[in-house]
Amino acid sequence: MLYNQEIMNFGRAEILAKVQEIFRDYLDDEGIVLLDSTTANDVEGWDSLTHIQLVVAAEKAFKIKFTSKEIMSWKNVGEMVDSIQSK
Amino acid sequence: MVFNSFTFLIFIAVVFCVYYFVLNENTKWQNVFLLIASYFFYGWVNWKILSLLIATTVFYYILGIAIENAKEDKKKSLFCTLGIIFGVGSLIYFKYTNFLITSIASLFESLGLHTDWHTFKIILPLGISFYTFRILSYLIDLKLGKYEATKDFLAFATYVAFFPCILSGPIDRPDALIPQLKTKRLFNSDCVLDGLRQILWGLFKKMVVADNIASVTNEIWSNYNLFSGSTLLIGAFLYLFQIYADFSGYSDMAIGVGKLLGFRITINFKYPLFALNIADFWRRWHISLTSWLTDYVFMPLNIKFRNLNNLGIIFSIIITFILIGLWHGANWTFALFGLYHGLLYVPLIVSGMMIKKNRIHINILGLPVIKDFGKMLLTFLLVTFGLIIFRADSIIQFYGYIVHICSPSILSVPKVLGITNVTMLLSVVFILIMLILEWKNRDKEYGLDISSIKYSLLRYCIYFCLFILVYYFGADASSFIYFKF
Repeated sequence: MLYNQEIMNFGRAEILAKVQEIFRDYLDDEGIVLLDSTTANDVEGWDSLTHIQLVVAAEKAFKIKFTSKEIMSWKNVGEMVDSIQSK
Repeated sequence: MVFNSFTFLIFIAVVFCVYYFVLNENTKWQNVFLLIASYFFYGWVNWKILSLLIATTVFYYILGIAIENAKEDKKKSLFCTLGIIFGVGSLIYFKYTNFLITSIASLFESLGLHTDWHTFKIILPLGISFYTFRILSYLIDLKLGKYEATKDFLAFATYVAFFPCILSGPIDRPDALIPQLKTKRLFNSDCVLDGLRQILWGLFKKMVVADNIASVTNEIWSNYNLFSGSTLLIGAFLYLFQIYADFSGYSDMAIGVGKLLGFRITINFKYPLFALNIADFWRRWHISLTSWLTDYVFMPLNIKFRNLNNLGIIFSIIITFILIGLWHGANWTFALFGLYHGLLYVPLIVSGMMIKKNRIHINILGLPVIKDFGKMLLTFLLVTFGLIIFRADSIIQFYGYIVHICSPSILSVPKVLGITNVTMLLSVVFILIMLILEWKNRDKEYGLDISSIKYSLLRYCIYFCLFILVYYFGADASSFIYFKF
């Protein structure tokens, strides 16, 4: 709960930076730069197989749980960040 | 109507001329003409199956609008589920009814229960597996809110029936093709030339490489009991080259025909013979089908079971691959083929190799380093084994083929009765030509994309040689392996 409060206090930019850190760690690529408009096509190694693992990593990092519908309907990083912010 | 026939040559010449030089500048009339041409192409062999395609198109168009207009999520889900049941149901009816009847009957028989069930005479509508998947992705993405339903019936119907892709793919997604149908398409000589080059490459792979190998593999498979283990092993290797050249050749032609008409069709193959492991192979082989099943089967399953970590991934992968196998047809061999590939992923998932980047390291000769060559070879062997299951008519035939390969005759000199050494030698030469060109151009969209060669004379010599080969070996317009799926 305290952590959720912490997320609420996070600005979008901070959430995006943390998501970027997760992507860099998980995909082992320090060169990844995420923007709201970034999609899987823009990041090498981010495909359907790694997508769920990135989602699980984000869920653990932010201590939240996404719904299946949320995960399936994201069109870009920005929408993922919106979901995190709404939790 | 197959791409490698004289009939198609006349058809595409007429379509091309009318499309650009009569209807130029008018997108709406171009689409009307494209739809008529697509229905003509599809109904060429059997016009009766056209009614099913048209009825399906109308049904899903209305369903798409209904999903869009539904205010509650529950209603959207209901319409989407209805569409999925209808789509999957018709696939099951046309492809799997007799398989289910005979499988259940033989299960009962094995339990000592007598059944008197009969199979039905069901004609499989051409391309149903391909256009059903196109329509279902439209419906599911609409429900997920990825885009808005198209109100343009003409664009939707043309998307479903688009003649370059209707018989054997690639399975284009709606958000890739429908927007192209709504934009102006003017004659572009670069695009047309690129399309012609890709068609030539596809024709070479299909008519020269695949069909030449087919004469050898068909002979081996039809009488496999008569041949030595070494011959059967050669036959298995050759079949991998054959099916690759056949299907990727078809895909190149489809994409090339799309380019002639100003369309960008989704890529279907990315040089899978150079894959470094099985996961890499499936990222390069029949991409439009595997990505479809990854998005609509693997992803939802993996999301559901994501808390099980690797176990969840393994379970989702195996289910997805069994479905990929069964998509090819109603036979237990296809299910086993899928299960086999799913199981090959297990060590990759456990070791974390599945998500590792697969870059080929090159030595000073421009060839893969020994380690990567070894990985390619291992992948090649694993895929070859899988294709023995795929090619066999039954599990018993697969077993018989493997038993023969493992016999002492594996050490004898391979020889195919009825096939001359010249045919065998030509098969090897054609495979080498294909491999060399594809290796050289592996960072390009297709193997004959040699526009970077500075000497135009050399470029034209290569085109001319391939054209002569196609002309010389193109006497028979044989069908494509993937038409039956």
